Amino acid sequence: MTNHWNDLQHTDCALIIGANPAENHPISFRWLTKAKENGGKIVSVDPRYTRTSAQADVYAPLRSGTDIPFIGGMINYALENNLIHKEYVANYTNAAFIVKEGFDFNDGLFSGYDEDTRTYDKTKWAIETTEDGKPVKDATLTHPRSVFQLMKKHYSRYDIKTVTAVTGTPKEDYLKVCETFCATGKVGKAGTILYAMGTTQHTVGSQNVRIYAMLQLLLGNIGLPGGGINAMRGESNVQGSTDFGLLFDNLTGYLGAPKATVPEHATLKGFLEKETPVTGYWSNKPKFVVSLLKAWYGKNATKDNEFGYQFLPKGNKNYSHINLFNAMYKGELDGTFLFGTNPVVGGPNAGKEKEALGKLKWLVAIDLWETETSAFWQKEAGSNPAEINTEVFLLPASASFEKEGSVSNSSRWMQYRWKAIDSRGEARPDLDVIHELALKLKKLYTGSTKSADKPFLALDWNYGSGDEPDIDLVCKEINGYDLKTGKLIAGFGALLDDGTTSSGNWIYSGFYPEEGKNFAKRRDNKDTGNANYLNWSFAWPANRRILYNRASADPSGRPWSKEKEVIHWDAAQKLWVGNDVPDFKPIVSPTEPGGANPFIMNKDGVSLLFAPTLNDGPFPEHYEPFESPVPNAFSNQQLNPAVVIIEGDFNKKGTKKNFPIVATTYRVSEHWQSGSMTRNQEWLSELAGHMFVELSEELAKEKGIKNKDKIIISSARGKIKAYAMVTKRFKPYNVNGKKVHQIGMPWHFGFKGFATGDTANRLTPHIGDANTMIPEYKAFLCDIRRAD
Amino acid sequence: MTKYVKYVDVTKCDGCRACMVACKNWNDLPAEPTEFLGSVQSHVKTTADTWNVLQYIEHENGKGDLEYLFRHSSCFHCTDAACEKVCPENAISYTKYGSVVIDQDKCVGCGYCVQNCPFEVISLKEYKDKNGKEYRKAHKCTMCTDRIDEGLQPACVTTCHTGAMEFGNREVMIQKAEKRVKEIQGRYPNAMVYNPEGVGGTHTVYVLAEKPSVYGLPENPKVPTSAVAWKDYAQPIGKMMLGATTMALVGAFVTNKLFNKEGKGLDENGGGSDE
Amino acid sequence: MVEMNLNRRQFLKLSGATAATLAVVELGFNEKKAYAKSKEFKIAKATVTPTICCYCGVGCGILVHTKNNTVVYTEGDPDNPINEGKLCSKGTTLRQLYTSEKRLTKPLYRAPGSSKWEVKDWDWMLDTIAKRTKDTRDSSFVDVENGITVNKTERIASLGGAALDNEETYLLAKLMRGLGVTYLEHQARI
Repeated sequence: MTNHWNDLQHTDCALIIGANPAENHPISFRWLTKAKENGGKIVSVDPRYTRTSAQADVYAPLRSGTDIPFIGGMINYALENNLIHKEYVANYTNAAFIVKEGFDFNDGLFSGYDEDTRTYDKTKWAIETTEDGKPVKDATLTHPRSVFQLMKKHYSRYDIKTVTAVTGTPKEDYLKVCETFCATGKVGKAGTILYAMGTTQHTVGSQNVRIYAMLQLLLGNIGLPGGGINAMRGESNVQGSTDFGLLFDNLTGYLGAPKATVPEHATLKGFLEKETPVTGYWSNKPKFVVSLLKAWYGKNATKDNEFGYQFLPKGNKNYSHINLFNAMYKGELDGTFLFGTNPVVGGPNAGKEKEALGKLKWLVAIDLWETETSAFWQKEAGSNPAEINTEVFLLPASASFEKEGSVSNSSRWMQYRWKAIDSRGEARPDLDVIHELALKLKKLYTGSTKSADKPFLALDWNYGSGDEPDIDLVCKEINGYDLKTGKLIAGFGALLDDGTTSSGNWIYSGFYPEEGKNFAKRRDNKDTGNANYLNWSFAWPANRRILYNRASADPSGRPWSKEKEVIHWDAAQKLWVGNDVPDFKPIVSPTEPGGANPFIMNKDGVSLLFAPTLNDGPFPEHYEPFESPVPNAFSNQQLNPAVVIIEGDFNKKGTKKNFPIVATTYRVSEHWQSGSMTRNQEWLSELAGHMFVELSEELAKEKGIKNKDKIIISSARGKIKAYAMVTKRFKPYNVNGKKVHQIGMPWHFGFKGFATGDTANRLTPHIGDANTMIPEYKAFLCDIRRAD
Repeated sequence: MTKYVKYVDVTKCDGCRACMVACKNWNDLPAEPTEFLGSVQSHVKTTADTWNVLQYIEHENGKGDLEYLFRHSSCFHCTDAACEKVCPENAISYTKYGSVVIDQDKCVGCGYCVQNCPFEVISLKEYKDKNGKEYRKAHKCTMCTDRIDEGLQPACVTTCHTGAMEFGNREVMIQKAEKRVKEIQGRYPNAMVYNPEGVGGTHTVYVLAEKPSVYGLPENPKVPTSAVAWKDYAQPIGKMMLGATTMALVGAFVTNKLFNKEGKGLDENGGGSDE
Repeated sequence: MVEMNLNRRQFLKLSGATAATLAVVELGFNEKKAYAKSKEFKIAKATVTPTICCYCGVGCGILVHTKNNTVVYTEGDPDNPINEGKLCSKGTTLRQLYTSEKRLTKPLYRAPGSSKWEVKDWDWMLDTIAKRTKDTRDSSFVDVENGITVNKTERIASLGGAALDNEETYLLAKLMRGLGVTYLEHQARI
């Protein structure tokens, strides 16, 4: 989230798309309800009329997988009706930048496409620069190759008629959304976009998010209270676990992991040179990388050994979830650790993921429960135990309140959890288990002189001498030290690239600036201004609550409006001041170089309407999902041309002939993710005890299905049984004059726990987004019939 | 003594059902798995172990627009409570806060309260004592009177995040409800305060988005006059003359024959089902 | 209420807060014990500990009431500005994470081809897991690839972590990368 939960109360309009917060992030509605009381509007865009829709002022349905047409049409609407915040766009985005000659877009393809590799040569999307490397600009935004004009041209194709014919949205509903949300382009108004996995779990997931951001930039909604682009995170610490580098391609703090396929990455020097931009805040990257290496390798990280850079593994491919399970399926993995995760329910094409587990030699699961995944070898899972040779180690884990530590919520607030009670039975905190495993491994490797063992032996692992690790030492290591004085470092601004500082995660540096001051533990809930609660917990980075808040002020440093003030330039103090920590160097005046460039993480200090960094194009463009019932109305490119397609037995593709119905998955309030946490509790299982599928009355009639009937849902990957929930809240779409049905179902169920049911993900495909490889859970094809 | 009201504005409810689990959590009530009901609703109505139930209603309004309506349903804590009137054991009483509570030590499980509640929120539960003998007790929402005693609000209200539920001084809450109805009549032309006079007003007061019948609520609930007669005349005399056990039989007769509501008798197993 | 305030003061002291406001749940009257009660007030003499909800990313504050070595009640933390004492159904039910009869209470081992779990002790489990990890790492370790030092194993994967504490995710990432694991993923991807 650029903003935070409490800030939602300040919005003039919340556009909720690809999310259903009333059901999945209920407490957000405490603040959205307050926004309504303050006169704000709620707009819900969803394939199905949800409980969020019930709370909304405006509801518009859209067929799953058509966010880009939906928002692209809004961009076109805002441009045509002159509703954008022009001064913001001209100054704070790259709208004025001139794109190099040769850039082109034709029938769904941008220039630089290679059909054989399904990749783009992104150098074909470059910005024209002056001799000293600065972008060439046209402040009038009229140059035909200016980003603004190219964008305008691109989205002129997204007219209301074409858009609604693709999305299936009734025209009057669509116009109501456009009017209501685009009204926030006015100075003094702010709109927010709230999204979740309904946005990201598509083959165009990243571009879905991108196009939301573009609309927000055009309306001048980023950096303002009640504005922003806000991803609502589904797990209590999925923010933190991502911040801390638990994805293959990122070390901590979004420092990219070195790759074996980039020759420059062979050395630290080459890696830093290649990956560090000359301008923008990321120009400090070497300080963060070296400080991380010092945190991990301690005294074994010296100037002479590139601070231990060579100890880090270098991968040569994409190791993300789908590829991981494909490799497992092919027998390329021997062992796997599962820390509180349940892919046999939660993974795409879950039947295949279950089969893949049987190819492992050993599997370690640490969990509060026996899950469908740790029990994949059992008869209940449809397996024959005698044929499965995987050794399974199942370790009982402590619940969140049986241990202590911090979690980071969607707002980036790092909040501490204290221990309330000793763990149930022999359960132990994950921290202890990881620590003890590390010590045991260290012991096994002690004395080895093999070069292969050197990296692990060099890993600094000192968290006290007791049986349990001293969590305070872990916290301090994350914050970092001034290694010359041994004192805790005050923040990432003090980190250096010469090995004299350490920090386990630079973006968190500053949460523990002095002995005894772990800011995650702060509980002062006095409102410090505009509900930013600066003394409650700690928000990364630097305790900042609204990101890009420099953009809440005009180039001269005055707030765009009194209503939406965050920070302003105080000429007397020569300082940026306000109700939040400035997302800017506090002493850089608006007239200094860069003083009017709020997007400090980008190399030119502005935000990107044209983003030449994504794999599938600098502008979001509509492509149909991997499985779709209709041809792409915008071009002859049916599927995102940059997605990686895994073919064969691992990922079967369905046709619209055999599987004419669009399906999507979602969650219910009472269950959480794969359900292992909630289906094992009686009160929640009581409230949502049955696997169901929601379908429209029209589809039910066509198929001879009555409410409460048991039905079979099938896709190219598998079939499941569920109860039919016939509802008025799903309606067939009119897509280009053709009736298209969509159904939806929760993905929480499995065969363990109190509430059991078939697993929706047995139906979903193994295909991912072109940038992130997030699976396309949210739009696939199926068929349904009554169970005999 | 100040009377308190649980104010329920159904138009602010987003159906999260925290009220249902908060109730179970506070009152240590067991889960009771149910059949699939064809919607997300978990229970048909309140039971002896489930003292409030969230209703989910798909309603097409006069304009043909779909409204997805929710209602936290539980005991109304009537000012003039039929259950209190028909209880032969005086096990049901009014508290000084206005809540209506059942004294479990006095309850004999006769089921008259179940039969006579105009809102069908009381249910019987069967127990076995240590000798294997079966007995029954009537249960319903207590308005968390134990919490009110300690200065806390009812568990369901405490957890409600949208402000759909509030707890406070009766007059203040009723004024709030009236004001709220005016605010929402644009969107919900049939919006109304539900605080029926036929039962002397209630201590759970609703702002409804639609007519009561849409929620399965009686438009004009009343304490049956015969229940008034029973409590105020027959019961005291009868009890004096016949003793409690016989009185229970007479009571059953009276309940069934005399002021049988909607033609339904006490069902055979004495349960609180309305099916 | 007195008891709760006492407890609240205890944990506020613990967390070093000074300006916290209290008791949005209070009604504002003091007449107590007007009714004889057959049981002790449920949360009397309970210890109250603040935590953050383990479910979605909103990060609501929850108070865990413990007494006699069990969790007797869980409710919203009125001091947490995010939820101000309010919770959804999942957060409200946190108590059953402790009390559920389905909780794993002992390490379990399943041998190759076996159709059942066996109870094992922690030491045996972790010793064996460490051995398996080392064996796999040693047999699959690649130190140089096309002339570049790569120090990795591609035969071990680690999945999950979105429900772990920050400190845990930090040590997990450090340990796995320290071992050379490249298949390192968690729920942000799915």
